[in-house]
Parts: sequence; structure tokens; C-alpha cells
Amino acid sequence: MEIIDQDFEVIPNQEQKAKKVLPKKPIIFGGIFFGVLLILVLLAVFLNFPLSRPEPIMPSPTPTPFPTFIPEISNPSFYATDSAVLKIEEELKKIEQELETTDLKEANLNLPVLDWKIDF
Amino acid sequence: MIKKFLVIPLLFIFPSFIFADNFDFQRAFSDYFYNFNLYRQTHQEYISAKESYLRYKTLTSKNTALEKTLKMTQARDETARTYLIALKMKTEETPGISSYEKNILTFKLDNEIDWYSKHKEELSSAATLEDLVDLAKKAGERYQSQTEILIYQALYKILVGKEIALKEKISFQIEAIKEKLKEIKENGNKDTSLPERWLLEVENRLIRFEEKISASQNNMARMEGGIYSDKTQIYRESQLSLEEAHQYLKEASRYLKEIIREVKTGDGNY
Repeated sequence: MEIIDQDFEVIPNQEQKAKKVLPKKPIIFGGIFFGVLLILVLLAVFLNFPLSRPEPIMPSPTPTPFPTFIPEISNPSFYATDSAVLKIEEELKKIEQELETTDLKEANLNLPVLDWKIDF
Repeated sequence: MIKKFLVIPLLFIFPSFIFADNFDFQRAFSDYFYNFNLYRQTHQEYISAKESYLRYKTLTSKNTALEKTLKMTQARDETARTYLIALKMKTEETPGISSYEKNILTFKLDNEIDWYSKHKEELSSAATLEDLVDLAKKAGERYQSQTEILIYQALYKILVGKEIALKEKISFQIEAIKEKLKEIKENGNKDTSLPERWLLEVENRLIRFEEKISASQNNMARMEGGIYSDKTQIYRESQLSLEEAHQYLKEASRYLKEIIREVKTGDGNY
């Protein structure tokens, strides 16, 4: 009677087991490392720790702004509360506002792009 | 029974009156915008039908091309018509344009609106694709020779009108300040020499404003010189001159505010 060879599951010996376990270590260490790093980053973000040294603020040329701050009149004249003067002042404010908001392009009314060349 | 007969026509008549009263630039612009979108859609269909016809040259594809071209050209005429109506409404609503200028512009725009309206109807009479193409070309010629220049003129009038209206408001305030300074001078309780000098500066800015407006108007007049002139370029240049004129108005307004501040400040503060 012929005995047929059977394929059994290859059971790894201790040496092979040790080889398979070894590559897991760097993954575990890496995971711990990145975990700690992530916690540190999160702490830094939530507690506003400076992550890097702030760059020194270099002076850069900026356009001269139009002075919007107008100091109080320390020595008002007899006409400081005059109704006619105050009315003109109010009207001038409205004009200034209008000058700022006037649309000088009317872009919404630009000529429509239409195909005028019909050809076959 | 008679009452019923009277009420039914009134139901149809009254909404039209209400609609006529509410028709303004915003409504006209919405109409134009809707038609422009419709045109773009029909134009895509026309392009596809044209390509298909040029490729296969079959009777079916030719018929489809005729149908799609008719739809597109009619939508194009309607877009031009509603755009011109929007422009007319904007002209009517813009302050600073004299009634004489408004009447002339309205008359010209109405002529164009009528032309596109009639042309749109005329397109339906085309029996073949060739006839339709010939009819459609008429709109292109009309646009090139008359409509485009009128559009630019109307757009320009709207912009100038706005500037003139602002200048009139500033001039009105100058007169009010002059009156007040005269009164202060007569009372003798405040020195008015400084604000009077500054007023001259304001008037100087208004003179420069007028010069810029005049320069831009002269530039726009070039547009009528010939149909081959670059209308877009001329309009753009005139528009830039208006922007410069606008800066002078801003300066004038700022100076006036300073004058008021000086009037409100007691003597010996400087």
C-alpha cells in the first residue's frame, strides 16, 4: 500500500518566529515616536507654544494712507455749532461716500459677446 | 351678467398697468440676462448642428441646422433687443444727463430695438438654410454699422451723467459755503481769508474736472469718424479720462471738508 504524502501546514520553528517578530519593533517604535510628536504638535497648537522663532519684522514701504483720523477741534469757533455749517458738513459726507462708491465702469452693462458671423 | 363681462377684461388690463409702472432698469436687466443665457444655450446647439451638417451633408442634418440656426439667431436678436432696452432704462434713470440728450438717446435706442424686433420676425420667413444665413447676416451688418456705436455712446453718457451729477452737488455746496463765508465776513467775528483762498483751490479742481470731461468727449467724437475705428479702444480711453476727472472731484470734496473744519475752528489755532 502506497502512502500518499500529505501537505501539512508548515509550522515555523522558534528561529523563524523570532525573524518575523523583529520587523514589528521599528513599526512600534515609529508609531510611538509619531504619536508623541503628534501630541506635542497638538499641545503646541492648542496652548499657543511658539513652534519656530518668529521672523523679525522687516520695515517695508507701504502706500501713504490718506489720514482718516481727524483730531477734535480744541478751539471751536462761533460757527462750530452753526446749523448751516453742520448741514454743509453732513452733505459733504454724503458726497464723499457717493464719490467712493460710484461705479465708473458699469461692467454689468458690457456689450454682450454675440456671434454675428453665421456661415456654413 | 353684464358685470361679469366687464370684470373679466379688467382682470387682464390692470396687471399690465401694474407691470408697466414697475418696469425699471433692474427688471430690464433681468430680462436681458435671461435672454443672454438662453442665447448661449441655443448657440451651443447651433455649433453642434453646424458641425454635424458640415460633416455628413445629409438632408436631415441640413434641416436640423436650419432649425437650430433659426433658434440661435432669434435668441441673438432678442438678446440684443433686451440689452438695448436695459441700456435705455439705465439712461433714463441716470441723473446728470439732460432731458434733451435723454430724448435723443431714447429715440435712437428705440429705433434699434424696433429693428431687432422686426428682424427676429423676419427670420421666421426663411425657407432654406441659405435664406436664413443671408437674413442673419443683416443683423451682423446692422450691429457693426449702427448698434455698436450707439451702445458705446449710451454707456459713455451714463458715466458722464454720473460725474456731472456729482459735480453739480459739489458746486451746490460751494455756493452754500460762499454764502456762509459772506455772512461770517459781515459779522466780523472770524477771519475768512484762509477758507476763501482754499475755495479758489476747490474751483481750480472743478476747472480741471471740466477739462478732463471735455477731453474725453472729444475722444468719443472720434468714434463717429468711421466704421473701421477701434470703438472699444476709443471708449476705453474716454472712460480713463472720466476716471481722472473723478479724482479731481474727490480732491474738491476733500478740500471742502477742510474748509468746513477751518470755519469751525476759532482764530489763532494755526
